[in-house]
Amino acid sequence: MSEYLLTQVINYGAPLLAIIVLIGGLGVPLPCTVLVIAAGAFARQGILPWHTTAILSLVSVVIGDALSYSLGYYSRDLVLRRFSETPRWLQAEQSFQKWGPLSIFFSRFLVTAIALPVNLLSGTSLFPFRKFFAYDFLGETVWIFGYGGLGYLFGSQWELVNEFLSNFGGLVLGVILFFIGIKQGMQWLKKQQRKVTPAG
Amino acid sequence: MPAPVKSKQRVLTIVLTILGCLLITFFGLRAFHAFKKFNGHRPPPGQVETDVELIRDWMTVPFIARMYAVPEKIIFDALEILPRENRDKSLEEINREYYPETDGLAMQIVKAAILAHQPPPKAAPPPAPFPSPTPAAP
Repeated sequence: MSEYLLTQVINYGAPLLAIIVLIGGLGVPLPCTVLVIAAGAFARQGILPWHTTAILSLVSVVIGDALSYSLGYYSRDLVLRRFSETPRWLQAEQSFQKWGPLSIFFSRFLVTAIALPVNLLSGTSLFPFRKFFAYDFLGETVWIFGYGGLGYLFGSQWELVNEFLSNFGGLVLGVILFFIGIKQGMQWLKKQQRKVTPAG
Repeated sequence: MPAPVKSKQRVLTIVLTILGCLLITFFGLRAFHAFKKFNGHRPPPGQVETDVELIRDWMTVPFIARMYAVPEKIIFDALEILPRENRDKSLEEINREYYPETDGLAMQIVKAAILAHQPPPKAAPPPAPFPSPTPAAP
């Protein structure tokens, strides 16, 4: 898939890349990060104009994210019918209001695997759209200019950059899961201690 | 001592911690290996690529021509195909269409054409002549 899309990006340039990242923003699993890094390298080789490519891709991916946010927003009733007023759902909503901005920002470029769930949850939990847009735009700017910039900087070594970054994203996801696990464990231990020494 | 209670939270703790450790080990090692592979062989700005090992199956002839600053015609001539019909095709497609009997033949031809077109590497400058001892002034 990546190889086919790379050939097509060479042939059709920035407009095709913009369409691909828009579809990626909607949640279709496409190798968008690979293409953004490669596009940076292509810009260095003079194949793509870097400014048009970067701006078109940024606008497209933000539109894609906004559409998946609205998907969550308009499917709120369906979700609430299933989970409404359950303590778990209320807890999830509260914690998203607290951690939402960070999740939105970092899931744009560092842990892209959770980008779609974050978009949907933002909409479903009625996270303010303006705030969503601001963090989304910032995160996507880092993705397009940062990752594309690395491709530009490393030129023909962009495949190594991609290999490193995709593994680094997995590493960060592992660290996040590990710390959530530790936090859960500490909460569980506290509960156990309260059971052993009841207050009175 | 209270009897151990197998709560959902405990299971979640164990699963998340183990999964986290596995991901850290797996992706950490892979990221480290990728980082180690970086080297400084990319050409400095303003210079063209010379390493033909960087040619990939997904590349098109015009792309390769631009990357290595070789006229497209030279590559199309080497492949013995017409430019107009094959400009948008990847090397893999060209290989499948024109050289179906040998895998990777199109790439080999392209590599050879580029190497043949590249100027020979500049010879190292001759070492400076060893300064002969000057006779001491009388």
